[in-house]
Amino acid sequence: MNKNNSFQAIITKLQSFWISQGCILLQPYDLEVGAGTFHPATVLRVLGPDPIWKAAYVQPCRRPTDGRYGENPNRLQHYYQFQVIIQPSPDNVQNLYLKSLKFIGLNPKNHDIRFVEDDWESPTLGASGLGWEIWCDGMEVSQFTYFQQVGGIDVRPVASEITYGLERLAMFIQKIENVYDLDWNGITKTKGGKTYGDIFLKQEKEFSIYNFEKSNTSKLFQQFGDAEDECKNLLKYKKSSLALPAYHQCIKASHIFNLLDARGVISVSERQSYILRVRNLARSSCLAWMGKLNE
Amino acid sequence: MNKVINKKGDLLLEFFSEEIPSRMQLNAEKQLENLFIKSLTNRDLHFDSFKTFSGPRHLSIIIKNIDLIQKDQKIEKRGPRYDADQKAIIGFLNSNNLDLTDTYIKETKNGRFYFYSQIIKGQKTVKILPDMINEIINSFIWPKSQRWANTDLKWARPLRNIILLLNDKVVKGKIILGKDIILNFTNFTFSHRYNDKKIIINKVQSYEKLLKNNNIIVDRRKRLNKIINDTLQLLDNKNLKLVDDKVLLEEVVGLVEFPNVLIGSINNQFMKLPREVLSTVMRVHQKYFSITDRKNNLVSKFLFVANSIKDKERDLRVIEGNERVLKARLSDAIYFMETDTSSTFENWDQKLKNVLFYEGLGSVHDKTRRMSSISTTFARTFGVKSNLAKQAAILSKADLVSEMVIEFPELQGIMGGYYAKIKNKSDEISKAIFEHYRPQGVSDDLPETKLGSLLSIVDKIDTLVGFFTIDKKPSGSKDPFALRRNGFSIVQILTHLKICISINELLKPPLKEYGCNSKSIKLSLVDFMIDKLRFILSNQNNRKDIVNSVLYSKILDDLPINVIMNRIEQISNYAEDKGFKLLLNNFKRINNILKSVKFSNNKEVQVNINLFQTIEEKKIYDLMNSFSKEIKEKGISDKYQGSLIKSLVKMNQSISFFFDNVIVNHNKEDIKINRLCLLKRLHNLILEFSNLEMIEI
Repeated sequence: MNKNNSFQAIITKLQSFWISQGCILLQPYDLEVGAGTFHPATVLRVLGPDPIWKAAYVQPCRRPTDGRYGENPNRLQHYYQFQVIIQPSPDNVQNLYLKSLKFIGLNPKNHDIRFVEDDWESPTLGASGLGWEIWCDGMEVSQFTYFQQVGGIDVRPVASEITYGLERLAMFIQKIENVYDLDWNGITKTKGGKTYGDIFLKQEKEFSIYNFEKSNTSKLFQQFGDAEDECKNLLKYKKSSLALPAYHQCIKASHIFNLLDARGVISVSERQSYILRVRNLARSSCLAWMGKLNE
Repeated sequence: MNKVINKKGDLLLEFFSEEIPSRMQLNAEKQLENLFIKSLTNRDLHFDSFKTFSGPRHLSIIIKNIDLIQKDQKIEKRGPRYDADQKAIIGFLNSNNLDLTDTYIKETKNGRFYFYSQIIKGQKTVKILPDMINEIINSFIWPKSQRWANTDLKWARPLRNIILLLNDKVVKGKIILGKDIILNFTNFTFSHRYNDKKIIINKVQSYEKLLKNNNIIVDRRKRLNKIINDTLQLLDNKNLKLVDDKVLLEEVVGLVEFPNVLIGSINNQFMKLPREVLSTVMRVHQKYFSITDRKNNLVSKFLFVANSIKDKERDLRVIEGNERVLKARLSDAIYFMETDTSSTFENWDQKLKNVLFYEGLGSVHDKTRRMSSISTTFARTFGVKSNLAKQAAILSKADLVSEMVIEFPELQGIMGGYYAKIKNKSDEISKAIFEHYRPQGVSDDLPETKLGSLLSIVDKIDTLVGFFTIDKKPSGSKDPFALRRNGFSIVQILTHLKICISINELLKPPLKEYGCNSKSIKLSLVDFMIDKLRFILSNQNNRKDIVNSVLYSKILDDLPINVIMNRIEQISNYAEDKGFKLLLNNFKRINNILKSVKFSNNKEVQVNINLFQTIEEKKIYDLMNSFSKEIKEKGISDKYQGSLIKSLVKMNQSISFFFDNVIVNHNKEDIKINRLCLLKRLHNLILEFSNLEMIEI
């Protein structure tokens, strides 16, 4: 037990570090998303209107196909990211990142830190960027991306996105080999100490069954269409911008697509067209956000 | 002051950026060299030598003894014609601010003109360098590049600092990154992230050494050597050796600024994983090298290169961290193996229906069915049982939907082979699946078994023909489906095994599978295959001219590969033979005579024996008919190519007699035409064997 490197301690440290760098601290977006990037605070905000935007937040992420019924020590269908988005990208952003590692107990002087090429692309968001995965003693602990495009639109000024994989990072810091053994709050069991498994093992089991076996695919197909229609309808509204509710529907469609994908009911040739449909929603929402939808 | 008199000095340019992808660094180094040298040459600036450096963050060049001042340039300018009217001449003088005495008259091939020469004063190098650097930066091409913050300039990763020193002094100037964003030239750079210090470079000469003192080995060759030497030292006394992997080594050289070779242990429980799985997991995800003992058995250790200076305590920590990561990765692999082992080939086969091979070419399931059908037509030729070939084809792609291959696509085939074995398929089948993606390049190993060779060819010919039928053949530098490599691989296997199959026979079954009747598609496939055949045969120690002469055979598409090879071999054997050389001469002579004659292509060239005037004509005619029969009977067997040459050489005596005693240009037109037709028939006949014209004597 170590209160200093518990899962929640790492989160609070990252929060206070980035607050001290001038970031606004936000809370997770209240929908199922595949990555912290989906949060409107990233996708929409990097397109304006403020040329300066600095935000940090934890985002629970869901990737239904990664579920392993709680049997794999490294894979989860639900996990946490810590997301930092800073626009324009600061000249010393790499150093800021390294300082944040030091702040949570990973002093670069004591470890082998490497920036390994890893360009990022989100086909459903029409987004892409260049950057690295960051290795600490061989473990990928973060993703670092200079956003070049979102919704197919050039991001100007360029924003830097840092995404910490919280479970991996905590496993590394706590020297744990099974994610379910992660110490969540750093106190002994008898006093209410909890591991990651105490909190999430049941969820992983149940959702794996749901994702792979029990979801009602015909209803999901229906819901996908509904979300798509709703998004398109909202974007037709002329009196004022409804970019945010429209984008909300786009996120829904994206997650429903992921659920369908996990059931293996979307063939390879259909897959591409579903991705394109979500991307169109994302692009239109982004344009609406910028007030450029009808241009 | 001395240096100005020498008018020479050393230059240092360094681009300091955030970590540039390893794969781009070497090319960037070459590009920097080319662009800079070109820029210097364009400005008539001379130098003695240069040296380039590259690493994750530092990309630099040192140029020795560069001119500090450009030489004065004399340029000659042409004015109006000597006899132009006065107005034009005065206009010319005024506009160039000249007196008539400044000019001279010179004769050119277009007449006499006024000329004047002008001396352009050489500029100081230090003044023109900023423009040159801007030019270099703007001409730089990265495979992928990005903007950052408010820049318009794109670079592989953000460019943070530029050193520009000439004669040990900072060159005054800047580069423009975007509106109101500049980067001034400096005399400093940065050390290893470990201590992240500013390093001031006062002397160009001391650049490399100063960086080294600050834990940056900026010369990638030196980093490479350090890795190699340290590795040898670590492994040699343990009687171990590294599994050779040049690509990985080159990549790792670009990932570290100060290589620190370390060795970690693999938990024994993972050593039951297939060797390829272990190596792939380590290589792809972690960039670790595999280690073997002297007998080439994988040992439970791995080697990796950290980016740090040696420090016992830190190294232990770094090794421990890497071991833990590898353990997690290998646990995943075990999980995949277990999941896959409990699945069945039948199950995977069904799943393949949902895996698209390519838009318009059906699913991978469809592909295996086509492969199965094609393989039965070829089985006998390869000396393989038809039902075995069929089964192997059906099972060959199942592993594409296995967990392991989804995670590590490079293990395709290899896993299929292992799983076939685990699931009690025959050894022949499992070996064939294992090796059917080979060869993956001209220098890669070929499949070892007959069944594996057959499966490999069937897979590749199906892909090749498929993409041609949907008009996706390679063009120019574009070959997104690696069809050329595919073609080379097919030919490599066929020539290696000396298979008795012609190009037409090879293409017919897959074309049938795709229901393709197009003549033009078939023709372009034939041309494509001949091209690959030409390349491979020319690279097998054969004389190029002989390869070409045989590949020019009129009936090449129907000649089995082994016959083509044997024919090349036999002609090579005869190449120095006196009689054969005479044959070549006579063939050239026939060719020259026929060159000036036009035959209507539509009509079969008719020879009328009643028009023969000489015994020589009749003799050629008879020999021709018997050779025609011979080549029909024996031409497609790889045993008789030598005897065909003998017959040709024998026939050549009669050809010589013909030329000695018969005048082709007989004054009677019908006799003349008949003789030409005789030669044409003879010519065509020999062309069925090979185009002897192309063989150099």
